[in-house]
Amino acid sequence: MRKTVLFIALAFSAATASAQLPFLSKRGPAQPVVQGIDALRAEFAAQSGGTTIYYSAGNVGLAAPARTVLTAQAAWLRRHPEVVVRVEGYGDSGDTRDHALAVGARRAEEARSYLVLLGVPAAQLSTTSWGKERPGLGRSVTVLVRTN
Amino acid sequence: MRRISLTLLLLGIATATHAQQQPGTPAATVIAVPPLTSPDSGTKGNQMLATGWDATQLIVSDLRQTPEVMPLTPNRDDYYSYPEVTAPTFSKWRSAGAKALLTGFVQARSDGRLTVGCYVYDLDKGRELARKGFVVNPNDWRRAAHKCSGLAYQAVANAPGVFDTRIAYVAENGVGDGRTRRIAIMDSDGYNHRYVTSGSTMVLTPRLSPKAAQVAYVSFASGDPSVRVLDIESGQDRPLVPNDAISFAPRYSPDGSRIAFSMMQGPNSDIYVVGSAGGLPQRLTTSPGVDTDPSFSPDGSRIVFESDRGGSQQLYVMNADGSAERRLSFGGGWYASPVWSPDGEWIAFTRRGQDGRRIGIIKTDGTGERMLTTGPGDEGPSWGASSREILFQRAGPGGRTGLFRVGLDGSQPRQITIPQDGSDPDWSGVMD
Repeated sequence: MRKTVLFIALAFSAATASAQLPFLSKRGPAQPVVQGIDALRAEFAAQSGGTTIYYSAGNVGLAAPARTVLTAQAAWLRRHPEVVVRVEGYGDSGDTRDHALAVGARRAEEARSYLVLLGVPAAQLSTTSWGKERPGLGRSVTVLVRTN
Repeated sequence: MRRISLTLLLLGIATATHAQQQPGTPAATVIAVPPLTSPDSGTKGNQMLATGWDATQLIVSDLRQTPEVMPLTPNRDDYYSYPEVTAPTFSKWRSAGAKALLTGFVQARSDGRLTVGCYVYDLDKGRELARKGFVVNPNDWRRAAHKCSGLAYQAVANAPGVFDTRIAYVAENGVGDGRTRRIAIMDSDGYNHRYVTSGSTMVLTPRLSPKAAQVAYVSFASGDPSVRVLDIESGQDRPLVPNDAISFAPRYSPDGSRIAFSMMQGPNSDIYVVGSAGGLPQRLTTSPGVDTDPSFSPDGSRIVFESDRGGSQQLYVMNADGSAERRLSFGGGWYASPVWSPDGEWIAFTRRGQDGRRIGIIKTDGTGERMLTTGPGDEGPSWGASSREILFQRAGPGGRTGLFRVGLDGSQPRQITIPQDGSDPDWSGVMD
């Protein structure tokens, strides 16, 4: 997120510079892709009822609310085959470190499998796990990484 | 230990007048450690004597940390001549209440290095128990002193000492998403503390090779958590397995030739083993669910690990080729992160229950389970080379983490001093 802000700031300063040095304007508008993925992320979150799904402690199975969100996510992702997605899984706070990593990976995999089941091309999706190493435990998050 | 108590028993009458031991505590063997001497003369001799005095104080401070050995406070005036190193006056130390004696010398070599020689004697029997010489660079005199401490501890307590070992851990700074984590390595007494990763990527669970020359660890450098191996001296760093699967929980075999670890395949975490220099990983477990945290037995023939195949996390043991799996733990709660003790007797683990996470030990046949800590935020046990102490991580209420060591003798855990927060400690074996 911070990186994105930085890119926008850079793009802005480049535009300022090009006003002073007209020959730079041949490069065209800077970094439209970054703004594009941000817009896509906002649209994805709004239209699929959220990027995050939650799991009960120690559990990797998908509850009904999780399936609802993933179904909406799948519908959106099928309309945007150009978007590359990573599903990030998190473990539980009370867990030991390595088990939490495995649980996070399993949750991400459960969510990914469900998206594939609903017709999202597997090539569009990858998974990773944050274990219990980052704030926001007991969930998995579908993150739009970039567009192809 | 058995040998010493026998000695005490036989000489009980002769030693009855020496009231050096604290009543009620198991007999600690009193050892005299007079200042190391030197065969050198002149300025060089004075330098060597100064180093010898520093080494003497370090040896005493090493031994004082153990419950089994009680060093007498050294007196700088107790210098003896070089020939007396191998022919000490036993009666003097006997009458001071000691049962063992450590003598030694520091000698300058023509190549600029030092020879540190150490001799351990049984004062009651008037005979030598052990001797060893160590050649080191002048800057490494601490290691030679730690080696002398280890020689004395082995002779008296009948177990390897933890003095000449290293500790690796994850040094943590900052809060939340901005928290940086670097792998730090230090001598077991806190000296030579240094960082071996930069802090730009998240790292977890450093695991030292038996002689502490390499460290296997989990890095998020590629985006996914995966095991990498770092050579500490050269700084060379490589992935353990050249694929993009999620891998974690590395642990060296006791001879350093293999690394067992977990790898995800789809929703499955299974245990694999691979040569520590590389090669094709061999899969050892196939059950659905999470199999992780493998740890080798000291002879390398078996592996203890945790699995949630039965519904909750429990400890299992299998042969190192994956055959003959059997469940080891049957108590309440969840059992995790097992580690086999260097002497083969015990398995340390983290147990999760209503009262949080605590460190415990269990015999390799599943009996004798005992909790060593009260929690509630303890995890990640690692054995000291003596098999009598365990290093672990404790998280406080605010999420701050620190490193603690606890003995098997029922004593309270002691926090060890590090420059910042720390987690995932790993204690090496005795170095060469």
